[in-house]
Amino acid sequence: MAEKDNVLDGLESKIGRTVAKTGRVFFEVADENLSEVVRQLFFAKGCRLSTATATETHRGLEVLYHFSHDATGRYYCPRVVMTDRDQPRMRSIAPIVKGAEWIEREMAELFGITFEGHPRPERLLTKDHPKPPDRPLRLRRTP
Amino acid sequence: MSQTVIPVGPFHPLLEEAEFFKIHVDGETVTGIDTDIGYMHRGHEFISERKTFTQSIFLVERICGICSTSHPLAFVHAVEDVDNIEIPDRAAYIRTLIGELERIHSHLLWLGLAGHFIGYDTLWMWAWKYREPVLEIFETITGNRNHYGMMRVGGVARDVPPEAVPPLLETLDMIERKMTMIAKAAADDPVLRSRLKGVGVLSRQAAIDYCAVGPTARASGLAIDVRKDEPKDAYGLVDFNKIVLENGDVYDKLVVRVLETFESIKIVRQCLEKLRSVTGPILNDVKEVAAGEGIGRYEAPRGEVFHYVRTDGSNRPLRHKVRAPSYVNIPTCEASCKGIPLADALITLAAIDPCYCCTERAVRLVDKQGVRVAADLLQLSREKTERLRRDVHG
Repeated sequence: MAEKDNVLDGLESKIGRTVAKTGRVFFEVADENLSEVVRQLFFAKGCRLSTATATETHRGLEVLYHFSHDATGRYYCPRVVMTDRDQPRMRSIAPIVKGAEWIEREMAELFGITFEGHPRPERLLTKDHPKPPDRPLRLRRTP
Repeated sequence: MSQTVIPVGPFHPLLEEAEFFKIHVDGETVTGIDTDIGYMHRGHEFISERKTFTQSIFLVERICGICSTSHPLAFVHAVEDVDNIEIPDRAAYIRTLIGELERIHSHLLWLGLAGHFIGYDTLWMWAWKYREPVLEIFETITGNRNHYGMMRVGGVARDVPPEAVPPLLETLDMIERKMTMIAKAAADDPVLRSRLKGVGVLSRQAAIDYCAVGPTARASGLAIDVRKDEPKDAYGLVDFNKIVLENGDVYDKLVVRVLETFESIKIVRQCLEKLRSVTGPILNDVKEVAAGEGIGRYEAPRGEVFHYVRTDGSNRPLRHKVRAPSYVNIPTCEASCKGIPLADALITLAAIDPCYCCTERAVRLVDKQGVRVAADLLQLSREKTERLRRDVHG
C-alpha cells in the first residue's frame, strides 16, 4: 500500500478510482476537476510534470499525467478517461504547466484528442511536413 | 516590424543530427526560438508494444547512441515496478557501475563539443582523447564500446570478472588526473570564463515552469536528481554529492557537468571495490510479469529518462511510453535564448546537451547581406571567442 502523505489532501471529493502502491498513485479525475488537481500538485505541492501518456483502451481514450514529487521520489498520476471515441476532447493543462505544451501537442497529433485552451494547438511532429498524415497515426481504429 | 528567421536545420551542422531550430532575430539579438521535431520519429513506443520485455530492452537501447544504457535501465525499472521485482546485490552494483561510466563518457563528449562550438579546439581534443579509455573500459566489461546489452528484467546479463577490476581502477586514476587537468585549465582560462559566464541564463522559475531536468535544471538551482530522489540499484549504497549551482548560465552548466564527472568517478570506484566482496547471482529468474502499471526512471547524463509500462500479464507491454530528457530540456531554449546575441545562440542551444535522436534541425539565414547558412553561426560563435582572446591576451 502507498504511504500516507498529504499531497492529495483536500482533493478527496475530486478523486475517483485509485490504484496505489509503493511510491506510485494512479487516480481517476473528471475533466472538470483536472485543473484544480493539477494546480494543487504543481503549485502547492511543488510536483514536476514528467510527461503524459495517452492510451487507447476498451473504455475509450485515456490521458495519464505523470507528476513527480521529487522531495519524496513519488509519482502522482491523474487519469482522465474520454468515452467519446469519435470526438475525444478534454481541457488542456498547458496554461497551468508550460512543460505540458509539447506532450499535449504530440497526443493531439497522434491520438486525435482536442485539448481545449491549449495556447498553441499546432502539430508537433509533422508541422511542416510536405504530406502530413490524414489521420491520428497511433489509433488502431479510423475515426 | 519585419523579423529575420534563421533556420538551424533540419540537420544540425555540428551535432550532426536532425532537428529544426528557427531562430527569430532582430539585428543581432535573438527574439525568439521555434523548434520543429519529428524528423527522426521512429515509432519506438509502437514497436515496443509488439515485442517481449527482453526484446524491448535491445530496442530502447537504440533510442540513443550516447546514453544507450539509460533507456534500458529506465525500462527495466518500469517493468520491475509493475510487479515489485527485486534484483541481486551484485547486479545492483554492476548497473550503477555501467550507468556512471556512461555519464563520464557522455559529459566528456559534451565538454569536447562545447569547446569545439566556441572555437576552443584544444578542449575538444583533450576531452575526446580522455573519453577513449572510458570506452575501452566498456569494451572490457561488456564486449562493446556502446550498446552494451547489459540490462535484464531482474538483474544484468554479464558479470564483471574479478581480474578486470585492478586495471580498471588504474585507468580510472588516469582519467581522474586528466579530468583535474582539464577542469583546472578550463577554470583558469579567462577567455572561456568571459565567453560563457552570464550567457544563456535559464532562471530558476523558468526551469520549474518548463519542467527542466538534469544538469540544465541543477545549474539553475533546482536540486533534482533521480539518483538521490528515488535511489534504485546501488545509488542508496554509495556515497556521492548532488551538484547544484545557482546562476543558470552556460558556464554553470559546464561546471555542473565537470563536477558530476568527478562524482561519477567516485561512484565507479566504490562500485568496483564492492564488486570484490559482494558475490552471488547477477540475475533473478523472472518467469512472468503480472498485470499492472509501472513507472521507471533513471538519471541519464542529460536528466531524467522516463518510461511507463502497462501490462496485462502477458510477456509484452500493452502500452509503453518513453520520455527522453531532451524532450523537456529543448523547450527551455525559448527562455534562455531570448535577448542574447546571435553569436551566443549556438552555445546556448548546445548547453542543454540536446540529444536529437532522443527527441528528434541549424538554419538558412536570408537577410540583406545575402544567404547565410548554419555554418555561419558557428563562424560567428568562433569569431566572438577570438575577439575575446585578443582582448584578454592583447
